[in-house]
Amino acid sequence: MGSETMTRSPMPPERLLDLDDVQVHFPLREGLVKAVNGVSYHVDKGEVLGIVGESGSGKSITARAILRLLPKRAVAAGGTIRLRPRTGQDYELSALDRNSHAIRQVRGRHIGMIFQEPMTALSPVHTIGMQIMRTVQLHMGLGRAAARERAIDLLAKVQMPRPAQLVDAYPHQLSGGMRQRAMIALAISCDPSLLIADEPTTALDVTTEAQILDLLKQLQSELGMAIIFITHNFGVVADIADRVSVMYLGRIVETATVDDIFYAPKHPYTQALLRSIPRLGVDQGRRLPTIPGMVPDPFSVPAGCAFNPRCTHAVAGLCDTTVPPEKTFGSQTSRCHIAEQFTTAGKPAHV
Amino acid sequence: MSDAIGSPDPALPEDVLFSVRGLRKYFPIQAGWLKRHVGDVKAIDDVSLDIRRGETLGLVGESGSGKSTVARLMLRAYTLTGGQILFRRANGTVVDLSTLSDREMRPLRAEMQMIFQDPYSSLNPRMTLLELVGEPMVIHGVGNQGEIRDRVAELLRVVGLRPEFINRYPHAFSGGQRQRIGIARALALNPSFIAADEAVSALDVSVAAQNINLLQDLQEQFGLTYLFITHDLGMVEHIADRVGVMYLGRLMEVAPTKALFSKPLHPYTEALMAAVPQPDPRGNRARKRVPLKGEIANAANPPSGCSFHPRCTYAEARCAAEVPALRLLEGGRQVRCHFAEQLSLTGAVA
Repeated sequence: MGSETMTRSPMPPERLLDLDDVQVHFPLREGLVKAVNGVSYHVDKGEVLGIVGESGSGKSITARAILRLLPKRAVAAGGTIRLRPRTGQDYELSALDRNSHAIRQVRGRHIGMIFQEPMTALSPVHTIGMQIMRTVQLHMGLGRAAARERAIDLLAKVQMPRPAQLVDAYPHQLSGGMRQRAMIALAISCDPSLLIADEPTTALDVTTEAQILDLLKQLQSELGMAIIFITHNFGVVADIADRVSVMYLGRIVETATVDDIFYAPKHPYTQALLRSIPRLGVDQGRRLPTIPGMVPDPFSVPAGCAFNPRCTHAVAGLCDTTVPPEKTFGSQTSRCHIAEQFTTAGKPAHV
Repeated sequence: MSDAIGSPDPALPEDVLFSVRGLRKYFPIQAGWLKRHVGDVKAIDDVSLDIRRGETLGLVGESGSGKSTVARLMLRAYTLTGGQILFRRANGTVVDLSTLSDREMRPLRAEMQMIFQDPYSSLNPRMTLLELVGEPMVIHGVGNQGEIRDRVAELLRVVGLRPEFINRYPHAFSGGQRQRIGIARALALNPSFIAADEAVSALDVSVAAQNINLLQDLQEQFGLTYLFITHDLGMVEHIADRVGVMYLGRLMEVAPTKALFSKPLHPYTEALMAAVPQPDPRGNRARKRVPLKGEIANAANPPSGCSFHPRCTYAEARCAAEVPALRLLEGGRQVRCHFAEQLSLTGAVA
């Protein structure tokens, strides 16, 4: 839908990234998997958008579609992705080839990315300094000496101890938290307008996680960059995000400000997920409410609302036949037929 | 079960199932081509704790703090360097596991089992559910083929899997279901004790909740005792009756769950609780978090005195000089801090 060329509305001035009806399909022997099935979201300059969802919901694949880093067998089956970084040019990322000159200008320069496992994302045979230097030499045209200086500055900025020495360290010589700091230094090396962070703290201990979250928040306000923060941890998203999108089976089911997601969710899936997390101080000994059934396998996504077989509010004849439209309530959107029934009570959804 | 191991022990209170005393595990550091012994990694240093029958003891701490090692030592998956592990058998006698040979240990293994974190690597992909869940019975020579098949079908039902799946292979199941296969296998020999090592950490939130409920149901149904190892404080508060906090191979604090979360007595416990972001944006904003500085020290070269002192906001000169003992305070609380009584620390729960 929605991609009748040339007639798209222009992006508002505060908009940095805009995804419209993005589709990513995997044609497999067993059938077609619509891993991303019509995802639309936007990121404004300087904000943190949290994307939460269970494994297989398509949150990482959507992020990879933005950078055109999809797996080889994936098909970008439709939709548009537009980016307008601080430098002012307009990019239509969805039209770019994965190896095009233009997308290589965008990666690293305008969009930085950090991954869950820094050991696999960093090169094991180059020092972290060399990896940062290569990036800034390429994108910012710095000479060797200037690039090395910038690498040391960046390591200092991510609060790496002894940056002047550790610039010559290899990733395996660093601890997990230090490696993630090096990864962040690399990602922000060219002052990107957008940072995509895919589960950056999942592999870390809670104390290190708190340090990295604080660092990201501080860098975000210092450098004025926007962040797409992908996670399955509701605690982390509550801590860092301004707005949150919840994904289920390739679709965004709800988007709202972080407070509305946690205190006035308008999608039964969001509500059910929030109820199933044990929270400090509220549920000692109580049975955790669970979501009945399991996430259906991607070859047989239920008709209508994909969540309907597990939903306690499902209306027969409606939810199992018709895909719910996106309903808007101020800044909140929900893909649920009966979203208006969930009124804002202003109290936590789990009480 | 005609083995003669174990004797009545009046020293161990009747309700205690496991009593670990002064547990030590050192891994030697070797250097040079002669493999000279140059030092030790003190993975576990002087850990003492009791686990009562029917309770869930949570064990929390950062990676490298030794929480998995404690469980593995208790089940004698490692040989210990020092200390005692007293275990009360189903027949009421008490054995010191640390004195047993591997051969003597074998019959006792039926009474203590483990559930692992990774449901993908902990199940042999070439075995069917019948073989996987039935294997402990085969090894311990319990029942003939028909009896084993019946028991496996029953166990699958108990953990919420359909008995028709008995001839399938693990790859046909999701992560949450595989975890249930691991649980069924652990239950096969009617153990009294199960150590769950990060048993739900790899699962999505909704699946984790289902499996936590299952573990609690099984505990009630079979009177199980759990050692529940996790780094998720929310989970441990939910499931545990008492919680032990570990740091760098030492137990820093043990307390009933409610007391620990409302009033921690060790600065490390306070820091750990403060670090966890809650699914409550307003609460997070109101609570000013001061992240713990630095990283867990190297166990091969631990700090002098209290191993936490370089990161501790309350540390004084004495902390660097003197290793604090694990002291017993009122309310059944144990704490390893010189200043536990003077400090007024903030918990995660009011």
